[in-house]
Amino acid sequence: MKKFKFYMRIYIKILVQDIKSKMSYREDFFISVIGIIFTNLAGFISFGIIFENFPSLGGWNYYEMLFFYGFSLVAITPMQCLFDNNWNLRGYIYTGDFIKYCFRPLNLFFYYISEIFDIKGLGQLVFGVIMLQYSWIHLELGFDFITVIELLICLPTASLFMIAIMNLAAATNFFILNSGYVMVTVFKFTDYVRYPNNIYNNVIKNFFRYIVPIAFVSYFPSRVFLTPDDIPPIVYVSPILGMLFFYISYRAWMFGASRYAGTGS
Amino acid sequence: MNLRKYLVLTRAGIVEKLYYKASLYINLLGNVIFLIIAYYLWKAIYLSSGTTVIKGLSFEDTMIYVVLAVAMYNFMEVFLVWEIGRNIQSGKIILDIIKPIKFPLYMFFQTSGEVVSNFVAAFIPTVIIVSVITHGRIEFGLHILFFLISMVLGVLINYNINFFIGTVCLYTESIWGINIMKNVIVSLLSGVTIPLTFFPDSLYKIISLLPFQAICNIPLNILIGETEGIYAILVKIAFQFLWFLITMFFSSWFWNKSIKVITVNGG
Repeated sequence: MKKFKFYMRIYIKILVQDIKSKMSYREDFFISVIGIIFTNLAGFISFGIIFENFPSLGGWNYYEMLFFYGFSLVAITPMQCLFDNNWNLRGYIYTGDFIKYCFRPLNLFFYYISEIFDIKGLGQLVFGVIMLQYSWIHLELGFDFITVIELLICLPTASLFMIAIMNLAAATNFFILNSGYVMVTVFKFTDYVRYPNNIYNNVIKNFFRYIVPIAFVSYFPSRVFLTPDDIPPIVYVSPILGMLFFYISYRAWMFGASRYAGTGS
Repeated sequence: MNLRKYLVLTRAGIVEKLYYKASLYINLLGNVIFLIIAYYLWKAIYLSSGTTVIKGLSFEDTMIYVVLAVAMYNFMEVFLVWEIGRNIQSGKIILDIIKPIKFPLYMFFQTSGEVVSNFVAAFIPTVIIVSVITHGRIEFGLHILFFLISMVLGVLINYNINFFIGTVCLYTESIWGINIMKNVIVSLLSGVTIPLTFFPDSLYKIISLLPFQAICNIPLNILIGETEGIYAILVKIAFQFLWFLITMFFSSWFWNKSIKVITVNGG
């Protein structure tokens, strides 16, 4: 517990430093926020165009699809905001700058990840919340104490899966030099988080459940709210699976880091 | 113009690309997986709709279009905005500017190696696979020649737009935001995200006047035989050529203007 408090204090200190330095590049910040809004608008427009031509998809209507979409945006946000430094890993390893993280009396993974807080990711959160609320009202899902608890369990679980997926992808940078492709490829899968898992054939379905488990980021947790009478059994163990998966990704990342030998500069 | 000194740059780009073989394979594998996912996604979309033809496109038409559009955009996209932006931030750009080569041309030939190797290693196999799977839906006739001309124009327009946006980085110091905005606009309006035919009619009319659809949509429609007849094809190519001139004019004008105000730290 004392250790946890210590790490929290350090985290806040690093966070404040990062925000200060970001504020000195205000233009960059605003342009990035506009960029995020553009991305989400474009995603929404293409979603809208598809649904203008096709009224339903795999048995799900427009508002249910919107729910999957909104839920995925909210669930992805923690990865986007808190774990963004993973994207710089390739460059740090390639140039040898990664060595600077190895000389602190702190957990290496913690120190590395805490260095960057990506504020622009919050733009995505706003989009997600609006979509979720809009579809929630149109589907007349109801809102009470139980749903709040369910949301408080399902959202962090979904986020854990997303974070773990990207952690594992980032860890490959330790093994394959100068290859951002694994991360880019895996990140592209997140575009498909918003589509319900049941529309694919068995191979892809299982690929998205057990290999790159994006079904756990939106499809499975959303079922808790959309089809409360027909929740897939795996959903009940997903919080434990999420934590386990995150732990595995953390170990893989640390294992990769322990193999890091530096460039000699 | 002595072409040989430029082609050396192209060659260097190809060699560099071949050096990182692991990246090449992972990229290829990733593309294959995405094609499979896209296949099942569109299949589900068509199954749910109940009809077999939507806005004149059957499932097979849509698939051919989507697969080739993605493959085409992938081989063209060489992260030029990133490259220019990073060179500006690190100051390395000054070394390139003082070379006895015009910078826009230098960058073009430097990235052309990657475009050529992507074209051979990824795009041609994709076209052949699509042609075999669909039992010859892509015919190999005279229009292939027109397709190649149209495609080169597409690459050039894409390059001009990229170069223009890359120049913006001289002023903003923001690469990520600028780049993502450009990506979003180009991939939505060029038909890479969803076939342009699915757009509402009024929107489609506006989009068909913009330069973005000249990047992918026009060459692709020539390849799959959607644009038929010599006359129709020549009109499209003329349209592309016009946009090529306009984009080239603006990107070089903007560059020549910007180079006078450039401030580079270190280098």
